[in-house]
Amino acid sequence: MTQALTPTETMILNMGPQHPSTHGVLRLQLTLDGEVVLDCKPVIGYLHRGVEKIGEARTYPQILPYTDRLDYLSSASNNLAYVQAVEKLMGVEVPERAKYLRVILLELNRIASHLMFVATFANDLAATTVFLYGLREREPIMDMFEMWTGARLTQSAMRVGGLGWDIPDGFVAKAREYCVFLPPRLDEYDRLLSGNRIFRVRTEGIGILPPEEAIDCGCSGPTLRGSGVKYDLRRDEPYEVYDQLDYDVITASTCDCMGRYVVRMAEMRQSLRIIEQCLDRLPEGDVIAKVPRAIRPQAGEAYGRVESPRGDFGCWVVSDGGPQPARVRFRAPSFYNLAALPRMLRGWKIGDVVAILGSIDIVLGEVDR
Amino acid sequence: MLEKLKSQFGDAIESAEQIGRELRVQIAARSLVGAARLAKDEGFAYLADITAMDTNEALRVVYRLASLSTGHHLVASILVPRSGARLPSLTPVFRGAEWPEREVYDMFGIRFDGHPHMQRILLTDDWEGYPLLKTWQAR
Repeated sequence: MTQALTPTETMILNMGPQHPSTHGVLRLQLTLDGEVVLDCKPVIGYLHRGVEKIGEARTYPQILPYTDRLDYLSSASNNLAYVQAVEKLMGVEVPERAKYLRVILLELNRIASHLMFVATFANDLAATTVFLYGLREREPIMDMFEMWTGARLTQSAMRVGGLGWDIPDGFVAKAREYCVFLPPRLDEYDRLLSGNRIFRVRTEGIGILPPEEAIDCGCSGPTLRGSGVKYDLRRDEPYEVYDQLDYDVITASTCDCMGRYVVRMAEMRQSLRIIEQCLDRLPEGDVIAKVPRAIRPQAGEAYGRVESPRGDFGCWVVSDGGPQPARVRFRAPSFYNLAALPRMLRGWKIGDVVAILGSIDIVLGEVDR
Repeated sequence: MLEKLKSQFGDAIESAEQIGRELRVQIAARSLVGAARLAKDEGFAYLADITAMDTNEALRVVYRLASLSTGHHLVASILVPRSGARLPSLTPVFRGAEWPEREVYDMFGIRFDGHPHMQRILLTDDWEGYPLLKTWQAR
């Protein structure tokens, strides 16, 4: 009885900005009542570089490498959203071969990014083995990128009108080999994680995000699909050749950390399906359209929109007819997904914070821009 | 969608054009929240982005809503003065408006009335000036 009368105080705990599980420089200001999270205020901006301001002082081709450094785990998606917008402004038609190659690059990037997610998510939940496995399986993709574009992360392979380079000799064989190599490895992770009692206890039913809230908060990607909303820009606003390919849009109805994990695991298998189809159908021809050397789109505005591994990545470009854009805006999925984090955290224990934060798979590079 | 907007808000819809799957409208600030509610009820349930740009004469705030089922976009622009502008916040209609509105304030200095935390988001609280204004020079 005396215990019930003991007054309790709430406590503010700063998690980050230097914390191993924040995946970058993020500070979460947690309001705690004992072990229970009452509220969370994410403090962002530590990586702000002013990319949108820089963009107004650079020519169109010069902006491309900056986009790599937004979501640095999936630079191909960022590149594409930007070049898509410029292509729409200029009315450029991309050659068929370039469209297929772009899809291959995007999907390899998606697998690499999701492998990184599985690796770090498992590591956050103390399953270090999977962390090492995930990075090991990601390595062949990095090698393929290096072979093709010369870079492992910041590829800058997209160009207005197509791609910078055609694939080198031996690439197709390597990609096909990888499509056979990965599925048994994914089965292994499934056994290690989905079949692991500790992993399940820490993810199932934790960090619930109901579908209506997910939509209302502007969430996208696996965070939205993990809440059972079937929305994928590859299917709903198809670009490149996605409307001619056969794949499934994965959702999970559990709305929890497990759901978001399951969606990403299954998406990797779908990406392999897409890559195989593209390799089968890859047409001959040029990889870049004839585009004037000096890119000066006519005055107007256009919006490029890509389903990046994290969700709806948008790029709004406004041209005044000059060699530099009047405005470039990057709509980053992690920015919106992170804004919904406090809703997922409230009421859970402090030990769940790391699991819930890990499950939305943010990249601070694109949050802070 | 455009007919419904026009019948309900009349001359608050200052201009409109349909480009592909994108309906671009320019509306008066007084009808912003009402138009957003109508759009949400009509299926534009997903707030894709809120941003702004400096056109040198005025600031143009741009709201992009998307329909999850049809793939159509509604892009609404509002022109406001270059300094000291205020707009009603969309947070009562779309919860996702909270952060992008803070970013617009951070970068352009436009304040949103009714917003729960109208503070800077990417820059530090003691930052001076609004960097995405064309008159702002990097030091």
